[in-house]
Amino acid sequence: MNRPLSGTTVQIDVKGPTLEEDELAYLRSKLKESYNLTVRGIMVSDEPTPEPIAAAPTTHIIPQAVNSSDSRESEPSRIIPYTIRSGQTEDFPQGSLIIYGDVNSGAEVVAGGDIVILGALRGNAHAGMNGRLSSVIIAMDLVPLQLQIGNYLNRLPIDQKSRGYPEIARIGTEDVIIVEKFVKF
Amino acid sequence: MGKVIVVTSGKGGVGKTTSTANLGTALALLGKTVVLVDADVGLRNLDIVLGLESRIVYTSMDVIDKQCELSKALVRDRRVDGLTLLAASQKNNKDDIQPAQMKAICDKLRSTHDFVLVDSPAGIERGFSNASAGADEAIVVTTPDVSAIRDADRIIGLLQHARIEPINLVLNRFSPELVGNGSMIDQEDVIDILNIDLLGIVPEDTGVITSTNRGIPLVYEEGSEGGQAYMRIARRITGQQIPIPAFDQKGLFTSIMNWFTRKG
Ligand SMILES: Nc1ncnc2c1ncn2[C@@H]1O[C@H](COP(=O)(O)OP(=O)(O)OP(=O)(O)O)[C@@H](O)[C@H]1O
Ligand SMILES: [Mg+2]
Repeated sequence: MNRPLSGTTVQIDVKGPTLEEDELAYLRSKLKESYNLTVRGIMVSDEPTPEPIAAAPTTHIIPQAVNSSDSRESEPSRIIPYTIRSGQTEDFPQGSLIIYGDVNSGAEVVAGGDIVILGALRGNAHAGMNGRLSSVIIAMDLVPLQLQIGNYLNRLPIDQKSRGYPEIARIGTEDVIIVEKFVKF
Repeated sequence: MGKVIVVTSGKGGVGKTTSTANLGTALALLGKTVVLVDADVGLRNLDIVLGLESRIVYTSMDVIDKQCELSKALVRDRRVDGLTLLAASQKNNKDDIQPAQMKAICDKLRSTHDFVLVDSPAGIERGFSNASAGADEAIVVTTPDVSAIRDADRIIGLLQHARIEPINLVLNRFSPELVGNGSMIDQEDVIDILNIDLLGIVPEDTGVITSTNRGIPLVYEEGSEGGQAYMRIARRITGQQIPIPAFDQKGLFTSIMNWFTRKG
């Protein structure tokens, strides 16, 4: 068997359910015996590490867990069962908007919370207008003229092309709006 | 009881007047009684496209002002039975007419004709409200470019708000070559954005200019692609099921043919 670490000293970090004293002793002897590893110390933390928020470039596709903190649960939402056309606007400062249609070029949707478009976003969308920065914009086809979340505007490629899968826009760690493939909430 | 159909677009110069003249003539050629109403007060040109400009005596303004009977203001097109024109006043402007007055005219015309086609001016203001005031249905004309499409979208929203339906689409000045080389939006994308039914596609046709200058609608011209397209659209308006030929498939069709010949 190939043992590249043989003879080295290691430290074990343990998270999650704590190990008992005898289990740790067993682990220590097993590592020495089977892999010739000397255990220098064992770090036990019972706090799960937070999921890192990925500040991925728009082309980078990673499944993401959307931070569903803040007031999302307590917010009302409104359903718009039609396409919003050029010159038309839909405002819902109290909460989130769900649109069963497209938001066309020249149209505008503004919501206090999230904006979920079960169609194409070709116009302007402004989520989190009251400052909830965890607000997101999701569209089956995300090809907007302008995106705004809270007071963060745009910052995505002007010539964003239709990708053929749903995408989500939100504020990433680097304080810019990032757009990624939408996998799940 | 006839149908009142407004021909409109939002953006100017996309072919509303050309479409109104050709569809009106085509419907008359199919045996329907048709009156064309020019609602472009102050900038009329439906009379020119129809070659009737020298015969206009009264206009819709005169009818509204009770200077003449509605039936007397209708100019008969002598080339085909059943086609007449109600011209717009050239010396007035759009604010001189109220939507209710246009609606009253359309309601009267509807009772004596199979089709009343109203040629709308560009824009979304009074001229458009006048033109659409009496309409049951709408034909939205667009060209395959983003600004015309956005304006068409705007107009569709206003028509829906006014509960005018169905709203059908005529895609004008379509060029298979430009779609083929990727520099023009194809019809599927236009329909995807506007989300209304496609009534027909009229190709870019240089014959339109000569036809306008001579006052002879394209549908009279044998072998004119544009004229045939308008003829097909007219048949669809009368309820006939006529497939829309896929203009952009022509290139594809030839390339498949070439491929077979090369192989064989
Ligand atoms: N299919 C076509 N092929 C080539 N040229 C066309 C076609 N349709 C329209 N045109 C040209 O486009 C111009 C505008 O057409 P038209 O007057 O019918 O548009 P309109 O929408 O009525 O304009 P307006 O908004 O000013 O009333 C004319 O010069 C006409 O010859
Ligand atoms: Mg015109």
